[in-house]
Amino acid sequence: MNKRNHQDTSGGGDYGGLQGNVGKSDSSSMSSGKAKMWEEEQDAGTGVDDELLAVLGYKVKSSEMEDVADKLEQLGMVMDAAPNLFCDTVHYNPSDLYGWVQSMLSELNNPPNTILDPMLQGQQIDDPLLAPAEFSSVPTLGFLNSQQQRQIDTTQSSRIYNDDSEYDLRAIPGSAAYPQTQDRESNRKRLKTSSGSNSAPPLLPSSPQAAGGAAAGTVSDSSRPIVLADSQETGVRLVHTLMACAEAVQQENLKIADALVKQVHLLAASLAGAMKKVATYFAKALARRIYRIYPQDCLDASYSDILQMHFYETCPYLKFAHFTANQAILEAFATASRVHVIDFGLKQGMQWPALIQALALRPGGPPAFRLTGIGPPQPDNKDALQQVGWKLAELAETIGVEFQFRGFVTNSLADIDPSMLDIRPPEEEAVAVNSVFELHPLLARPGAIEKVLLSIKAMKPKIVAVVEQEANHNGPVFMDRFTEALHYYSSLFDSLEGSTLVPPTQDLIMSEAYLGRQICNVVASEGADRVERHETLTQWRTRMGSAGFEPVHLGSNAFRQASMLLALFAGGDGYRVDENDGCLMLGWHTRPLIATSAWQLITTDSS
Amino acid sequence: MLTMRHQPRPSPRPHEAMQQMKAEDREKKPKFCINDHIDILIEILKHLDGPSLGVASSVCRLWCTIARSDSIWEHLCFRHVSSPPPSSLRTIVVALGGYKELYMVCVRPVLSRLLHSDLVRSSVWTRDEVQLSLSLFCVDYYERRLLGDTSPSSLMFLCKPVNV
Repeated sequence: MNKRNHQDTSGGGDYGGLQGNVGKSDSSSMSSGKAKMWEEEQDAGTGVDDELLAVLGYKVKSSEMEDVADKLEQLGMVMDAAPNLFCDTVHYNPSDLYGWVQSMLSELNNPPNTILDPMLQGQQIDDPLLAPAEFSSVPTLGFLNSQQQRQIDTTQSSRIYNDDSEYDLRAIPGSAAYPQTQDRESNRKRLKTSSGSNSAPPLLPSSPQAAGGAAAGTVSDSSRPIVLADSQETGVRLVHTLMACAEAVQQENLKIADALVKQVHLLAASLAGAMKKVATYFAKALARRIYRIYPQDCLDASYSDILQMHFYETCPYLKFAHFTANQAILEAFATASRVHVIDFGLKQGMQWPALIQALALRPGGPPAFRLTGIGPPQPDNKDALQQVGWKLAELAETIGVEFQFRGFVTNSLADIDPSMLDIRPPEEEAVAVNSVFELHPLLARPGAIEKVLLSIKAMKPKIVAVVEQEANHNGPVFMDRFTEALHYYSSLFDSLEGSTLVPPTQDLIMSEAYLGRQICNVVASEGADRVERHETLTQWRTRMGSAGFEPVHLGSNAFRQASMLLALFAGGDGYRVDENDGCLMLGWHTRPLIATSAWQLITTDSS
Repeated sequence: MLTMRHQPRPSPRPHEAMQQMKAEDREKKPKFCINDHIDILIEILKHLDGPSLGVASSVCRLWCTIARSDSIWEHLCFRHVSSPPPSSLRTIVVALGGYKELYMVCVRPVLSRLLHSDLVRSSVWTRDEVQLSLSLFCVDYYERRLLGDTSPSSLMFLCKPVNV
């Protein structure tokens, strides 16, 4: 990593000396190969005014062009975020662009304290439904005071950060809008922001700095602004900051955690694409955890259904889940004349048309098909399950399959008793149980999963198809969960990115919101609220095994179908289907993301 | 197709004699119009690909009727399949919207995508590809009914450009 910070020379708030430093800092960035290029450029053009701008009446030296451009951008960002910051500046010579920009930005660093107060009070509390780009983090009023205190009392701020965690918490926070401009490579990036450095001595600026944070008007505490080189480095820093923040949260070090969260937003602003979105969602979730905003979104079931629908359209995960589960069920139903499928999460019923059609084409003709759909209660007492049932019945009639539907509304699967479901004996009717992402929420309540597995056994199913996320987000230690989730959702978002169109479709945005809610739940909730308790296939295997189930291998048909399905998706070469001891896993590059497995009751007799 | 009738001239010169002979020959031979032999026409059209069928349907009304008939599209859908499709398939496909719909919505994009990737080496389809296309077709049909034709997009992924 290239070193580009010079706190010792330009100590923070004093920008009068900065112009002098510009020349010095160039020589010190010789270590970087990239810097060399720019240096040559600079040597060539020193002292010459840029011609084009000169025509317009602005005198800017060619050597300073990139510098000025960067500063103008930042200025723009700051002005967007906090327009009332620039009240009393006098500019004597606006044609000297460089000097003008300097003076504008230096004013930011030495604002009168009174300006900060209206800014602080004018901001809103984070809205859970805001898109990531609109995040504005402001704590409650109680917290405000300590923050203001901190701004005034900067010399003592070092006392707050006396943590010796491995993530170098001296690097803290801040969101100064004005970075030190020793870095020349920043012209490659569109947005330049500043962040803490990992290797500088614990030096703090002498005056408080206001920030026009890149995201929206976040107010900073004291900081040492350092410039970042390129987005890869930013990405690494971002991850480190996120981890540091999570660690701080785990240790109940909420002040540091809060400051780090703001830092994450700033870093994320300079990135683009998947990394930015993931970081923003995680930062929001961390902020919720810090400020103990419980309960999270009380959004109703129909909204989450809609989000899942969009997720279904955008990427192959759900389609993969449906196709592979259907294949397992189809093979188990090969000879049955009456079949009964119990779906633990009916949602929009998108899984079943394909199965009905496949059953219709079965050599020997279709069986009589009974579907029991289970779902959560809907707002306004709408009977969503029944609607779905009607549509499926229509389809079945069109295709020529005898069809019956029954819906069950319940808050939790553990409340369902098998006797309610009108299970017929296995000689008469083959039963299949289908669960797509419905088992892991049961882990939030003790005893629930055992009860449900017992119920399943009582239904005497021919096959149980289970699809779950392939990740361990249910560990006892917060830090472990956080790290796992960070990797998992980074891969997921990466894969979404691969199939994106520009401009992003509504589907994509909703899919991201769908995943964002999961992230929020994993990171910010606890106890019975934390329902996204994903576990790995190995863990599920153990669980199912000890409950009395044995695995059924998904055949090569399923594998072929899944591979073909993935090949149809744009960005299809990134998706990977893997067979894992009879189960199929869908992943993005090397990271498996969801796993389909099939189970049957352990056959003790030799029939 | 039009045929021209020439009145033979009373006293032909050699060149005109030749022409006259040709005209008489033409009159003696049966006039062949493809439109009179629909079964041959159908056989020929069966060998066309999707876009060509579209062009063919704009030639004249007869061609249009034939080119739009489902049986030709059925042939097109399963032309590359090694084993013949089950007989129950037809009722299902017709019920879901017909073979032309199946071809346009599913078979064509699926086939082109798979040929593009390395999963299908030759243009011989197996049951798996057929199965997949049908499943997607069915899902699309269901989605249209469920969401009421308001831009159902479960097959939109087939329209997006593939990153090669």
